[in-house]
Amino acid sequence: MDYAIEGFELEKSFAKKRSLKELFTKPFATPERVRALRGVDLHVKTGEIFGLLGPNGAGKTTLVKILSCLILPDHGRALIGGEDVRHENKVKPRLGLVHSDERSFYWRLSGRENLRFFARLYDVPGKRIDSRIDELLHKVDLAEAAPRRFSDYSAGMKQRLAIARALLHDPPVLLMDEPTRSLDPSASLALRALIKDELKGRDGKTILLATHNLREAEVLCDRVAILVSGTVRQVGTIDEVRRWGIDEHQFRLEVANWRDEIAGPFRIVSTERVNGHRRVVVALDGKGCLDDVLKSVMAQGGSIHACDRIEPDLEESFARLLAQETARGST
Amino acid sequence: MLRLLTKIWAFLVRDFLSDASYRLAFVLQLAGMFFAVAVFYYGSRMVNPQTEGLEGVEPFPWLLVGIAFQLYFSTALYAFAAKVRSEQVMGTLEAMLVSPTPTSIVIFSSTAWDFTWGGVRLLVYLVCAVFVFDVKLNVASPAALVLGVGLTLLSSAGIGMLSASFILYFKRGDPINFLLSMGTTFFGNVIIPSKQLPHAVQWVSDWLPMSWSLKVVRGTLLKGLSFGDVAGPLGRLAILTAVLVPLGLLGARIAIRKAKREGSLVQY
Repeated sequence: MDYAIEGFELEKSFAKKRSLKELFTKPFATPERVRALRGVDLHVKTGEIFGLLGPNGAGKTTLVKILSCLILPDHGRALIGGEDVRHENKVKPRLGLVHSDERSFYWRLSGRENLRFFARLYDVPGKRIDSRIDELLHKVDLAEAAPRRFSDYSAGMKQRLAIARALLHDPPVLLMDEPTRSLDPSASLALRALIKDELKGRDGKTILLATHNLREAEVLCDRVAILVSGTVRQVGTIDEVRRWGIDEHQFRLEVANWRDEIAGPFRIVSTERVNGHRRVVVALDGKGCLDDVLKSVMAQGGSIHACDRIEPDLEESFARLLAQETARGST
Repeated sequence: MLRLLTKIWAFLVRDFLSDASYRLAFVLQLAGMFFAVAVFYYGSRMVNPQTEGLEGVEPFPWLLVGIAFQLYFSTALYAFAAKVRSEQVMGTLEAMLVSPTPTSIVIFSSTAWDFTWGGVRLLVYLVCAVFVFDVKLNVASPAALVLGVGLTLLSSAGIGMLSASFILYFKRGDPINFLLSMGTTFFGNVIIPSKQLPHAVQWVSDWLPMSWSLKVVRGTLLKGLSFGDVAGPLGRLAILTAVLVPLGLLGARIAIRKAKREGSLVQY
């Protein structure tokens, strides 16, 4: 398997801030440490959008900073394109970081001037700088706004400029730390389309997306990892994660001639009257078969007009995971 | 080398555009410099020209050269630390450090505009002094002057890098800045001739690059001294530079490494 981003048993802790009282009473004491990452393993396939989900303080940003060579892990290895992040001169040309912090630009300079400055830092050849900037401004739909000061940009425009900056040196890997955090719904929608259609679809970038927005992960990610208290709890496709902890499938049936006596190899979750029919939600255990349900209902006089599968909700799955984590922490 | 120069140029353009966008402040700074020179001129009229330590120079040019060059050399002392701090606070440091440009080059190049603008201010002070207040410059050895200024900038940069390392290492405002500023002003032959200081502390002056650089600058700029005349102070400056620059580089290397481990490089 070809992986663009890999992490092996990554550990990171930070010294806890000491109170003024402690500084005076125990000036030479070793500060307590907070563990941000605890043995994180991560394998992101080339060309996929991989979501890093987790509540605030789960360690997402710490992991992104390690992968972008901004901080060093205490233990373990992180590789970008097969190169260890400790060899930053080999790794940095291969990655671009999209910050959620809109302060990461110079507000008195225009969008174009900002990109010109960063293009030099990203080693874009002098002769290519202007054409590359034009290309990117067009891609992120900022060509007309390029001469305007960054301070005049909307939150969505600032975020799109951050994407343009991360693409200046055309890296194969993009790390995005909550890119839609401060955006309104329509700006978020536009940015997601840019990420999915342009960056992944057209350019084939590998994208690691750290977010706590589950809807965003559902729309964008091929696979996700759920990070809780510095540990990866689940890795899989959205569907796999959605079904995590659920050992039954649910179906919604529209049934005419429903009778409450109807029973079969299923559990009735709910029923309600809709337009003269009954809308019945039934649950089957993992081994149950929809065909048996339909046959059983029809054999008992029910006439089925419609049937669809109810997908488990990612938020519920996430909440279950957090609840389990809380329970684990309290025992 | 060309790559480094293009990066330094990018920082220069960035800061020029940013500073020039505050047009009024730009103009007011220039006007402020004129008034500063006027203050030195009229203030120095209260000083007895026979004061010991003025080395045969009139009080006004002695004072003006001292203060103007101290301001310039101070750029090397404070700019690294100030830039790291301001980029941290502005939130732009992380964006630069994730680029393929090495951290040390980011930190050093980011001060390019401070040095350039400091040089412009120095020239404005001297031009005002010459054309408005009739100071006579007497430069016999431009080479000694340039060498003196270069060595002072380098040795001050050594101290400046140590100061920046302090910020990176301890992740807080640099408390040694104020001490450095007051210390060099007091002991460095800037406003007060070191011979006017109490005998017990005059030796401190000999350990500061500022004292020796001002000897070179005043000698070559105002008294027409030759290279040979200022060879002694130049030698002292060279020794201090040879000690302070490697020390500063070592401090910066240790601090950057530690800051990356602790994560303090991108937090404030």
